[in-house]
Amino acid sequence: MQANPETVMLELRDVSLNFRTSKGTFDHGVHHVLRSVSFQLFENETLGIIGRNGVGKTTMLRIMAGILAPTSGEVLTHPGKTASLLTIGLGHKPDLSGRDNALLSAMLQGASKQQALTYLEEIKAFSELGDSFEEPVKTYSSGMKSRLGFTTALLTHVDILLVDEILSVGDAEFRKKAEKAMKDRICGDQTVVFVSHSEGQITDLCDRVLWIDQGRVCAAGEPGEVLDLYRASMR
Amino acid sequence: MTLSQYFGLVDVQARMLLKADAAKFKLGILWWFLEPLIWVCVFYVVFNMILDSGRKGGDFVLFLAVGKFAFIWFSKTVIQASGAIIAGQGLIGKIDVPKSLFPMSAIHESLYRQSTIYLLLFVILLLGGVSPGLGWLWLLPIALTTYLMIIGCGFIAACLVCVVRDFQKFIPLGMTFLLFTSGIFWDVRTLGDTQKMEMLLWVNPLAFIIDAHRQALIHLTAPDLLHLAVIALGSVVAIVLSLWYMRRYSKLIALQVLT
Repeated sequence: MQANPETVMLELRDVSLNFRTSKGTFDHGVHHVLRSVSFQLFENETLGIIGRNGVGKTTMLRIMAGILAPTSGEVLTHPGKTASLLTIGLGHKPDLSGRDNALLSAMLQGASKQQALTYLEEIKAFSELGDSFEEPVKTYSSGMKSRLGFTTALLTHVDILLVDEILSVGDAEFRKKAEKAMKDRICGDQTVVFVSHSEGQITDLCDRVLWIDQGRVCAAGEPGEVLDLYRASMR
Repeated sequence: MTLSQYFGLVDVQARMLLKADAAKFKLGILWWFLEPLIWVCVFYVVFNMILDSGRKGGDFVLFLAVGKFAFIWFSKTVIQASGAIIAGQGLIGKIDVPKSLFPMSAIHESLYRQSTIYLLLFVILLLGGVSPGLGWLWLLPIALTTYLMIIGCGFIAACLVCVVRDFQKFIPLGMTFLLFTSGIFWDVRTLGDTQKMEMLLWVNPLAFIIDAHRQALIHLTAPDLLHLAVIALGSVVAIVLSLWYMRRYSKLIALQVLT
């Protein structure tokens, strides 16, 4: 679906985020994560965010999801629209079975208990965990854990989906299935913000890209152009 | 999040915590009963056999069991609730949830646990020769007030730990202080000075609550209802204030927990 530049779903205006670290490192103990970040997110678009590790990408998603508040600046959301992070392994408790963990994750994502119970068979089938679904999660391999995590995360139904680097789950076969499910979601009627280190995924999925460095927006625009600038900066 | 969603989630979280806890140990849910019973045995050996409390053995066991069971409910839950927001770090970084959900789930978990412990207590009382009577019904308002006090103290402790992490070190110390000053292994009513006793009961609501448990369950008499109402009201005020703080500063708490 095409992006609709008429409707702004979410806007960050001059957003900065600092926090005090207990040790007196950085700027007199103040750590600047984001510095005057501004951008708009339009309805139905898929906005990619690229940048090296530790430049503030996750913090930006957390601000968009309403988990953190900016130290200064404004976050404007279209009235009645919700934004939420797509997260793997929400609240996994190792001593509980996959089924119990899936129930808990679904409820944490806003489902009522009745709704969550109806999702469980679907989760069991998609994750292909079979009988292991009834076993404690501590007996799972890391691949099995991410299968369970990805499948429950896929249930998130929100207006703005914020995705933080999650398309590298499970073995090759499951990854293909996960990527397809994710693509169907992104290409459908969904506004998405997508953080990734994979240039392939960014070019494939995104309408527009933001490049973040040291808490600032360095460039924004067509994926091809922004990725060229980003690559050039790495040399 | 709607209220029904909130309480639905609190309930499921609490059940899951119980399940996870039972799965962790070989003796599973037997530990719910074993732990308080072992505590009573330890106190009995120390204060009756070694230090000689001057009471008849059977009476002293009932006296200890009632006091200790109520105290454990309070102390364990407040300690658990105080660290609950910090322990929810993983979730807090991923979703925007009301922060009170974390201490409330811990408190709700212990409510389930405590209800079975009260059943055990009734069995001990019957075995100890207390004949059941309508006086036992006074346990209802007393337990409700204890519950409100636990929520109030648990919420405040959880907020304080978020503001200054070091506070977590003080909570177990505070509980030890309360263990000695709330009349668990000694009777506040045997303090010769009535004025001192009155003061202690007003300054330390837990001492009053423990005494009220004994009055209702062993002597089948009503507690001082005005005093009970004041504690309940004070607890409600504490709950409202800490809930307001957790709502108002929800994102600041998230930042404190995550950094």
